[in-house]
Amino acid sequence: MTAGVAVFALSCSATPTGARTLQKEQQLDHFLAEVERRALRIAEIAVRDRDEALDLVQDAMIKLVRNYSGRGTDEWTPLFYRILQNGVRDWHRRQAVRNRVMVWFQKAKPDDNDYDVIAAAADPMGRSPDEELQNSEAMQDIELAVHELPSRQREAFMLRTFEGLDVAGTAVAMGCSEGSVKTHYSRAVHALRDKLGEHWQ
Amino acid sequence: MSKTDEQLTRKAKDAFDASVDSLDAATLSRLNRGRQAALAEAARPITQWLRWMPVTGIAAAVLMAVIMLRGPGDIDVISAPATDLEILLSEESIEMLEDLEFYSWLATQELDGAGDFG
Repeated sequence: MTAGVAVFALSCSATPTGARTLQKEQQLDHFLAEVERRALRIAEIAVRDRDEALDLVQDAMIKLVRNYSGRGTDEWTPLFYRILQNGVRDWHRRQAVRNRVMVWFQKAKPDDNDYDVIAAAADPMGRSPDEELQNSEAMQDIELAVHELPSRQREAFMLRTFEGLDVAGTAVAMGCSEGSVKTHYSRAVHALRDKLGEHWQ
Repeated sequence: MSKTDEQLTRKAKDAFDASVDSLDAATLSRLNRGRQAALAEAARPITQWLRWMPVTGIAAAVLMAVIMLRGPGDIDVISAPATDLEILLSEESIEMLEDLEFYSWLATQELDGAGDFG
């Protein structure tokens, strides 16, 4: 029985279709592993909540795999970010509605006692506490400034600067023209320059 | 882009990359689980009836639209059973049903008589 199953599995994987599927899964795994951490930080900057950002990234992964895995691998990055940006926009809409409702029902404050041992562990990259503090402060500054940008400027800046997409890829991810991307990006950089001040230039 | 803008974006990118590199183990683990869940979705075959669901949905919507667009012009379709009901509920019909055996006998007599006189 077991041998029969093994022979069947072997024959399936030996077919060209099975091999193609396996190859596609490996490509998807590699792509998602490569993009997931930057995507998480980009979502986190947009929504200012890690748990929500993790949910948004997982949703984007599932939607990409379900709907666009048949597309060419070079299309995956802009498509993935387009799904993610749509998720972030939907999240902000839901938050706006929730905030209107919560005016009437005051939400209880979250418990501050949940200390995360793993999150508090030493930096695996081996940086000194001073370096870590400096990077952390710099990131806090830029994170807050980027978060306060208008949503389209924020998207353009993060996709171009943090993810490194070109203008065409950013246009696909944002669902707008390349001219609009250039305009949003330019305005974002000027706004950040004004906000962050001299020591950032 | 001016030189100062380039410096700003470079510093922002460096800070961002550092924050990506310093993600904690718990977060990386959750990302990994999310990725595996997404890949499991890719491996899951679509059930046959789910594959046809959009088609059947569209067909049902088209059928409903046709029925609604044709409107009251085809009211006789549903009036036929109503007419039957009216006949069944009328007094004459009830009388006829009560004398069904008589009418049946009469019909056979007429047929036989037609044969006799023909």
